[in-house]
Amino acid sequence: MYSQMAMLQTELDRAFRALGDATRRAMLHELAKGKARSAGELGRHFRSAQPTISRHLKVLEGAKLVERSVAGRVHWFRLRPDGLRDATRWLTRHRAFWEGAMAQLEQLLEGS
Amino acid sequence: MTPAETRVEISRVLAVPRERIFAAFASAERVARWLTPSPEISLKVLSYDFRERGTYRFEYHVPDGQVMRVHGMFIELVPPARIVFSWIIEPPDEHAGVDSTVRVSIAAAPGGASLTIEHERLDRPGAAERHAAGWAGAFDQLASQEENRS
Repeated sequence: MYSQMAMLQTELDRAFRALGDATRRAMLHELAKGKARSAGELGRHFRSAQPTISRHLKVLEGAKLVERSVAGRVHWFRLRPDGLRDATRWLTRHRAFWEGAMAQLEQLLEGS
Repeated sequence: MTPAETRVEISRVLAVPRERIFAAFASAERVARWLTPSPEISLKVLSYDFRERGTYRFEYHVPDGQVMRVHGMFIELVPPARIVFSWIIEPPDEHAGVDSTVRVSIAAAPGGASLTIEHERLDRPGAAERHAAGWAGAFDQLASQEENRS
């Protein structure tokens, strides 16, 4: 049980680290349109050198946010639909926490 | 689906002076009255040393019997404008060991003060490995407790 949690933790860390970069978030937005895109297409879209794009894609793939399929010499990338689930869960939980706490603080301060 | 941000930010304007909002954070007695996600979840403040580099530890009690413990350190305190503290949930929670920072900003606003809470995950390189080590440590501790008991 504990090793599973540690594994989940590691995945969560990777996801958040991957999301911490503006270019990678933009790439995910692009892939979120649904269509698989090749590394070359993404490079042209973001006007970035291919090694830079490849590096970003590798980080996203490692964080399980995108998946790669290889057809001949072309590498295709697609968004993994469940990739953001764990990262989103932390955010959802803490957003709910602070929304609730703020509401109670408001009541405490303004109600008295 | 759009990629999530790595940060929660919530803001609202309260019809009270900044000092009263700051005071709501400044003592164990005060935070115990509101710093929970809902009135059903009670907060027992295990320790609360409200000064820079002082630490705190909270214990949340959920009606179904679950307990969640959180601890952290006050990093920056600037009355009545700013409070920064770390926030780390303890095992066996699914988010245990995640290093995160809460920034509280209290600014003057027409009719009162605006309160902004930003809660950000800190995912520095190596954090995952450190967390894994933390887990191993917690597991060892648990195992030795179990051994002592039997």
